[in-house]
Amino acid sequence: MYENVMKSAERFKARPLGRDQKIGGMKQREDLLFMKVEQEQAVPFITWLKELGGFGHLVLFTAVDFIEQDIFQITYLLHSYEQHHDIVVLVEIDRQKAEMESIHHLWPHAATYQQELFEMFGITFPGSPRLYEDFALEGWQGPPPMRRDFDTKEYSEKTYFPRPGRVTHDPATYMKEQLYPGEAQTW
Amino acid sequence: MSLKDIIAPFSVWKRALEKPYTTRKPLDERPGAPRYRGFHVNKLDVCIGCGTCEEVCQNEAIDMVPVKETRHGDSGLRPRIDYGRCCWCALCVDICPTASLGMSNEYVWVDSDPEVFRFTPGAEGKPWDECELGYRRADGYDLLESKRVEMPMISFEESRKSFTEMVLGYSAEQAKREADRCVACGICIATCPAHMNVPDYIKAIRDDDMAEGLRIVYEANPLPASCGRVCSHACENVCAVKHKGDALSIRWLKRYIIDQIYAHDYQKILKEKAADNGRKVAVIGSGPGGLSAAYYLRMLGYGITVFDANEKAGGMLRYGIPEYRLPYDQIDKDIEYIRQLGVEFRQNTRIGVEIPFQELYHTYDAIFFSTGLRLPYGLDISGEDLPGVISGLDMLEDVTLGKTPDIGKSVVVVGGGNVAMDAARTSLRYHAETTILYRRRIEDMPADEEEIHEAQSEGCVLTTQAIPLRLEKGDTTRLKLFWGKAEMVSEGEGKRPKPVLIEGSEELIECDTVISAIGQSADLTFLPEEIQNKLEFKRGFVVVNDFHQTADAKIFAGGDIANPKRDAISAIANGHSAAKGIDIFLENFAPRD
Repeated sequence: MYENVMKSAERFKARPLGRDQKIGGMKQREDLLFMKVEQEQAVPFITWLKELGGFGHLVLFTAVDFIEQDIFQITYLLHSYEQHHDIVVLVEIDRQKAEMESIHHLWPHAATYQQELFEMFGITFPGSPRLYEDFALEGWQGPPPMRRDFDTKEYSEKTYFPRPGRVTHDPATYMKEQLYPGEAQTW
Repeated sequence: MSLKDIIAPFSVWKRALEKPYTTRKPLDERPGAPRYRGFHVNKLDVCIGCGTCEEVCQNEAIDMVPVKETRHGDSGLRPRIDYGRCCWCALCVDICPTASLGMSNEYVWVDSDPEVFRFTPGAEGKPWDECELGYRRADGYDLLESKRVEMPMISFEESRKSFTEMVLGYSAEQAKREADRCVACGICIATCPAHMNVPDYIKAIRDDDMAEGLRIVYEANPLPASCGRVCSHACENVCAVKHKGDALSIRWLKRYIIDQIYAHDYQKILKEKAADNGRKVAVIGSGPGGLSAAYYLRMLGYGITVFDANEKAGGMLRYGIPEYRLPYDQIDKDIEYIRQLGVEFRQNTRIGVEIPFQELYHTYDAIFFSTGLRLPYGLDISGEDLPGVISGLDMLEDVTLGKTPDIGKSVVVVGGGNVAMDAARTSLRYHAETTILYRRRIEDMPADEEEIHEAQSEGCVLTTQAIPLRLEKGDTTRLKLFWGKAEMVSEGEGKRPKPVLIEGSEELIECDTVISAIGQSADLTFLPEEIQNKLEFKRGFVVVNDFHQTADAKIFAGGDIANPKRDAISAIANGHSAAKGIDIFLENFAPRD
């Protein structure tokens, strides 16, 4: 199976990652393969994996924000029931032009993942159904919250407000009021 | 449609005669697991209201509300928890420095009023308050570092050989590590007599912003190089972190800031003084009180002249504290900056001798005096006039002046305060065998704890519950000191026990020198009689108001002479208050010419 995939991978300019590398003292499991592929070759490669490679099941589909490199990495996890094998396809896309080809024509449920990725990361998938509908964040106004430059605290301070009736005291200020309120010790 | 689909609806009939599954009401309450994180419990008497729980809470679920009376080391505030926001993560329990906050394993509470789910644990009598089970911080799991970063010091074997400064000071890495332990609660601010903003200058160390640190320190203390070494650090006694381990080394962190900045950079960093306002204030005495008043008044634009009897400024900082605790160049660093601001120092000038007090009174718009306590108490036993009996202060002053004290080979120091410790440790450095004789127990000694520890470690012998009886001329040594054993008699609750001589007990120490260091009183002879009559005195202290103004509106006083705390930092605070007072008085009440 490995040879089979590798042969076609050459055609799509996909390269395997760390097959023999030990990561943190642990060897990667035998039935898992990571493949990195250029953005324009990604969907053709995935299509080949599904239709000819036997990887018929899209297990999950997500993204990682590598803000330092100014990219999003899109991760497709596919599974082959016949071969009991997983394959992870990694695609890097420009963070400034966060747009990726849709794969909803291969698996209809991919549309839901794409809806989620748009909501959480702001990555668009042109042509994907219901892409701009609310997914988990109903009525969300702010920037996509899974982007690493999203400031959670700033957003919640701007959006939410404390429950009425709450009062707090700063120990140092309160102790001054109680123990040495006089002007003579105020500096 | 298959045959299966037609039959399926009828198959449910086979369940018709089975016993139904029904959940009966009321529900059986299942107890939480032993370490379940349920509603909070708080031991109100252990909690000090530091607000660290409020700081750490990621959901802003905690408010600090007044519950107890505020006193030193306890803000009186207690955490109130909003269970609408609490996510039961228990970070508040994990970080609590006093370990007063915990969580019970109770988690079932149904109510239609949402407001009841906001309460102050421990203060509102909940059924789970006495609950033993539930989440507590696990042993060995610490979010706060309880061990102080060790201060590099010269060993006691080395330190007793010379007057080299013992404490070497933190490196940048050590200071930052120590500063990281601070929870920034600010409970120390109230306890510091000068109310220094400790959390902020510690934050400056964390941010590596020494200039900001220096500015914060100077807001409340113009003698930080000295205080960073010899302050009595009341702040450290109330430090929240002390409840779980060592207090922050607040004093040494202050010293760290000062040590990083050259004296000639101060002027660039610190704020400029106000323009001269044409008024003049005389300051009598150049100890911490006088220097502090001079600095803050100068900052307000007053023309300041400091009159001092000694050759150099600094008062007890210079003449009372030995060099191994406070090197003279550090006192100079503090004083030279004050001089740089334009404060005029007139040394070797005794008021009442070289210049009459009345002359100052008429020349200056106001007078601040902090002349301290300079007259040592005598031992009040027979033979105290014999040669070889000296006072601790005189001896320390001689050493500062560069004279070698004539103490011989063996010394007995009588007293238990810092002067006694300093005199004893100075004697050691002149190769004398040194014994400290004190009437009460070690725990009653007014000296700083580390002073006592260091004196003992350097080799001073501590003889406690010992009352000197009489002195005689010695045979092989210069003196014979007879002393009797004392027993501690309780004086009732809240008072410290009194030492009473055990009848008939008499012991003898032979020594060359007896140094008496049992306290001092004020020397007020510089004040003319009419002024003395005008001022009020109570138990030897000058009576002053909040602004340290005496009964004569033009005269202000501070420091040991007006302050029972009798330490440098209180004197500095007095000087600051007096500077404010003098400013208010001169702005509002004194006629302008």
